[in-house]
Amino acid sequence: MEIKIMKNILDRNQNKANEVRNLLASKKVLMVNIISSPGAGKTTLLERTCEELGTTFRIGVIEGDITTDRDAQRLKKYNIPIVVINTEGGCHLDSHSISKVLSSFDLDNLDVLFVENVGNLICPSQFDLGEAFKLALVSTTEGDDKPAKYPMLFREAKAVLLNKIDLVPYTNFNYECFRSDLKKINGQIPVFEISCTRGDGLEEWYKWIEGQINIRR
Amino acid sequence: MHEIRIAEDLSLIVLDTARKENLSKVTKVNISFGQLIQIVPDIFEFAFREIVRNSVVQDAEIDIEIIPVKMKCKNCGSDFLVKDNLFACNVCSSTDVAIIQGKELFIKSIEGE
Repeated sequence: MEIKIMKNILDRNQNKANEVRNLLASKKVLMVNIISSPGAGKTTLLERTCEELGTTFRIGVIEGDITTDRDAQRLKKYNIPIVVINTEGGCHLDSHSISKVLSSFDLDNLDVLFVENVGNLICPSQFDLGEAFKLALVSTTEGDDKPAKYPMLFREAKAVLLNKIDLVPYTNFNYECFRSDLKKINGQIPVFEISCTRGDGLEEWYKWIEGQINIRR
Repeated sequence: MHEIRIAEDLSLIVLDTARKENLSKVTKVNISFGQLIQIVPDIFEFAFREIVRNSVVQDAEIDIEIIPVKMKCKNCGSDFLVKDNLFACNVCSSTDVAIIQGKELFIKSIEGE
């Protein structure tokens, strides 16, 4: 006997993500899901962004980490609401874990909520958290082949940040290869070439994210 | 590693359906994965087997259909299959394209008695 089911296997995650998305839309909070490899510079990007935009916008952060609250500690000095989700080995955040921690935020007094996902380029891109959009952050020290190897993330993301451009002279990173692979996968995606330590290219990023927050407000 | 979580959610659906349909044994689980999901079938099946051990699903055959990535061009309207990671229209070369197939994570049916 065959029983037809015809159902998305991740329905449970999707339904909760839709709930989160509706709640955040009603509160006019922009949730941004930042996806990268470990060590690409997610926390440093958030440090820079809090420094630059922390007085203009009310920023909140959800730190997804397998274990420890070290990333959250680094952001403490900005006096912003931060919640840590330790996945205890889990390789990605899901919409249920986000939904649970949203009650810790005063959503009426928040403009933007950055989610620092667990460092990983495959798994997080499959799980909708209810975000407004995903950001793909890659760094030059990882090599220029990331778009070609992880097409799903670069299709799903609304923008790409290429970090650590100050280190290019010490690597075999090939801009042409990176740009042409990315163009093949997502010819319309904006790319910000930045160095979070030296500050290169960050003005453009601030302007862009400011625009995105203002659309939601 | 997302295979484990997807296998978990699949097992919930299969066990729930088997219970509702009063199946004493599930013989086959038919699922489709889009190519973009980057599931490794062996890892997925291993995880699924571990999760459903000692249940009515434990001996089920798992049939995984991989669905190729298909896009629609928003410029000229043509549909095309993505080859060699090239997500641009193969008729007019526009990059203004939308994925219409290839992100599936779908359970089609189960078979049992």
